[in-house]
Formats: sequence, C-alpha cells, structure tokens
Amino acid sequence: MKNFRVLLEATLKGFIRDRLFQFLLVCALFIFLIIPALSLFSMRQVQELSVTLSLSAISIILLILTVILGSTSVWRDLDRRYLASILGLPISRTSYILGKFFGIVLFIMTGCILLGLVATAVIALVSVQHPSDIPVRWFQIWLAILLDGLKYILVAAVALLFSSLSTSFYFPFIATLVIYFCGSASQEVYEYIISDYGKTLSVVTHTVISAIYYCIPNFAAFDFKVQAVYLLPVSVQGFLFTGAYFLIYTSIILMIAVWAFNKRELA
Amino acid sequence: MMVYRLLFVLLIAGYVICIVPFAAYMKNRPVAVKLGYVPSAEVLRVAVGDQKLLVAHIAVVKVLVYFGTLVENLQKKIVLPPEYQNMYTTLQTVVKLDPYNNDTYYFAQAAFTWEVGRAKEVNQMLDYGMKYRTWDYMLPFFAGFNAAYFLKQYEPAARYMQRAAELSGNPLLTNLAARYYYESDKSKIGIDFLEMMEKGAKDEQTRKLYRLRRTALQAVLSIQAAVSQFREQNGRLPGRLDELIEYGLLKRLPEDPYGGSFYLDNSGTVRTTSKFAFREQKK
Repeated sequence: MKNFRVLLEATLKGFIRDRLFQFLLVCALFIFLIIPALSLFSMRQVQELSVTLSLSAISIILLILTVILGSTSVWRDLDRRYLASILGLPISRTSYILGKFFGIVLFIMTGCILLGLVATAVIALVSVQHPSDIPVRWFQIWLAILLDGLKYILVAAVALLFSSLSTSFYFPFIATLVIYFCGSASQEVYEYIISDYGKTLSVVTHTVISAIYYCIPNFAAFDFKVQAVYLLPVSVQGFLFTGAYFLIYTSIILMIAVWAFNKRELA
Repeated sequence: MMVYRLLFVLLIAGYVICIVPFAAYMKNRPVAVKLGYVPSAEVLRVAVGDQKLLVAHIAVVKVLVYFGTLVENLQKKIVLPPEYQNMYTTLQTVVKLDPYNNDTYYFAQAAFTWEVGRAKEVNQMLDYGMKYRTWDYMLPFFAGFNAAYFLKQYEPAARYMQRAAELSGNPLLTNLAARYYYESDKSKIGIDFLEMMEKGAKDEQTRKLYRLRRTALQAVLSIQAAVSQFREQNGRLPGRLDELIEYGLLKRLPEDPYGGSFYLDNSGTVRTTSKFAFREQKK
C-alpha cells in the first residue's frame, strides 16, 4: 500500500512538473478568456453558446491531456530506463500499473475541477451580461463536467492498456485516439444500422458492426452537454447506468492491462 | 552566421511587404468563397463525437457572418448574389446536429421567408424545432405568421399562434391568433409583425433588416391607401402613380428601400420592380 502511494505521488508530481502540461493549462486559460467574446457571435443564445464553448473546451483539453498522459507514462519510464530500477525495488508490476493509473485519475479530476471552476466564472459572467430565457443550472453543468472526467478516465485506462502491450510511443498514442473516435461514433453508427437503412445491409455486416458496438467503449453515454446547455432533464436511470458501465468497463480494462504487463518481457 | 541573419531579415521584410496586400485580399475575397461547404449531417454526427453542439454553433455562426456581410454590402449599395441554397442546407445540417439551436430557427425565419419565399420549407424546419424546443413560443409564432402572411393558410396560422399565446401567456399573440381568422389586410399584419420582431431583435444587423422591410411595407400601405382614395373620388385607377401627388393624395412617392420603383398592376395593386428581395444567385 505504501509503495502504491509513493508511485501515485511520484506520477502526479511528474505530471505537474511537466512543461507540456503547464503549457496546455496556459492555453486552456487563454481559451476561456476569449469565450465571452466568441459567445457574442450568437444572435439569440449567447449564454447557451458560452456553456457549449466552455464544455467543449474542457472536453478537448482533457482529451489531449489524457491521451498524452495515458500513452506516454509507461513509455517514458521505459525510455529513460526508470522502469527497470523501479521494478528492481520491492514493488509489484500490478502496483506499478495501478499507481500510474490512479496518478492519471487524480490529475484528470484535478484538471476537471480547475477547468470547471474557470468555466463557472466565464458562464456566470456571460449569463449576467446576456441573460437567456433558459436559466443556468449549475448542477447540470457540473454533472456534464464530471461525466466528461469519467469518460477521460476510461480513455486513460484504454491508453494504459495499450502502453502495457507495447514499447513504442506511437502504438498506444494512435490506438487510443482510434478507440476514442470509434467509441464516440459507435452509438450513431449503431442507431443508423438498426434503422430502416440497416435492413439493406447483409447479416454479416450487421453482426460485425453490432459486435464492435458492444465491445468498444461507448463514450456517447458520457455526453450530458445538451442537458447542461438547454436545461433538459437528466435521467437518473441513465446516470446510474453510465456510472455502472464506467466502473465495470474501466475495471475490466485495468485487469487486462495488469495481466498483460505482468506477462511482458522487460529487458 | 551572417548569411543566416541576412536571410532572416529578408524574410521578415518580405513578410511585412506581403502582409498588407494579403490582408486586403482576404478581406475582399468573394463572399461566396467564405461560406464554403459543410459536410452532411449524417457524416458529421458520426465524425464529431461529443462536439455536435460546438460544430452546430460554428456552422450557424458561419452562416450569420456570411449573411451579415451581404446586408452590410447592400447598405453600401453593393448587391452580391447570396448562396441561399447553401445557407439553407447548412442550417438543415445544424438542426440535425443540435435540434435545440435557437439561432438556426431565428435566422431561417429572418432570411428565407421574405427574400426567398421559402416559407413552406421554413415552417417544416420550425415544426421540427417545436418537437424539441417545447417551451419556446417564438417557433409557433414564426410558423403562424408564415402560414398567414406567405402561405395564406389562416386556419393553421391561428392554431400556431394559439400555441404561441399559450406558451408565452402574451395577450397580443392571442389577439393575433384571432385576427388571422378574419384579417385580410396583409400589409398591416406584416407591419405589426415586423415591429414586434424589430423590438425583440438583440443585434443591430437583424434590427436593420426588419426595419428595412417595415419601411418597404409602410410605403406600400401608404400608396395603396392613396390609390383606394383616388378610385373612390374618380371612379377609376390612376394611370401613373404621380397622379396621386397631382391630386394631393400623397405629398411625394415613397422610396423602395430595396432600390426598386413602385408601380400599379392591372388590378390596382401596388407592386415594385425590386419585389422586396435581394437578387438571388443564378445557377
């Protein structure tokens, strides 16, 4: 447990000290500074546009952070030959992978909270200056941010899985991005094939697409932006299903990552 | 090292020389180039993942900026052919990505009914929007006006307006709903509607657009009233509109703000050569 905590702290400190992430945070702050001006492009929904832009900015920044963190954290240790030294200590490979993962989780959630606070200030400012017919409901906005955070934790788990399988930087990076885009589109594609259009497809195509849909992570489930922007009711059932899906899917991916890393030959 | 520095200075100088004409070129590019192409909604829905709302907003802002440029140019007496079909297709893509996007319905109403005469298509878009924006009285209000004023379908117009009145609790809309059943004076309905829209418009560009149309309709209404008076007094229609001034029924002939000239058709209805429209792009 102590080893795990040391690894977690070391991972988190490494991220915070990283110049790349500091630069990304500065970029994020700049983006939030220009959101009030960009929102004025809307004719009738300035406040709604500020919420959309804020949530989109958080999502894009977290995606960049997660993909880089998830796909490089193991590779960096390997590249700098730290991994051999760390594993030479009485630290299990399982602790190492879990320490890395929870370090990333802490970083993502900290980023989520910080960006969420900045977004709150921006949206509050715009909504005071340009009030809309639709009131701002902070609960819905923070729920959308929280679920975005959970989505990127799942993305990080996928990235870590690919990192456990490969010594290269490129494979985990590209594979994670591919899974992210496929997982974001899978719901749309699935709904498309079960519609009337799907009847024109062959049984094999239908089965293959359905199988892919059930296997890859469904990131569309974590998208609660439309509820936050237009104040639509949030389904408690949908929220609970998404929470359960997140826990189960992330745990499975982590278990495979740990298993793969334990099996791996490390020279 | 010296060569390197010299090259750097030369490049900077080249940049300074180029940037001013380059910026001027970018500013004066044909507006048709600026609207560009937006992929179909089916492709975008799959491709953009959780950024559907953002992409929808970007597409609608693109159309708004493009159309704003056309209106600005029109005020400077520069008439540019708008890409109405491209604009409409873009807006259809937007509502498929984000059916709650209010800017889309508001803009479709402002741009595609008066100039282009696509009231039927706009009402289809508004019907689609009403399924999502169930709280918004503006959508049935727009649809009601279009049905009455452009499509001359007074019964559906009254139904839309009644829905708008119920959602807003505004007695004026109830009044309008009733008037649509009985009213036949189209220009007066138009002026009332435009006045209301002008007051509600939040941006200056749209306010100007509504003001332009209201001025045009007021001009028609004043000439039409003088023509009716002329017919009552003389038992015939005036041969020329100038006769209205000669008989003291008008102090002067109002100008068509769209740049056309007013005339009387055979039935005695006031018409204008501009047809109250910007010129549409020929295919």
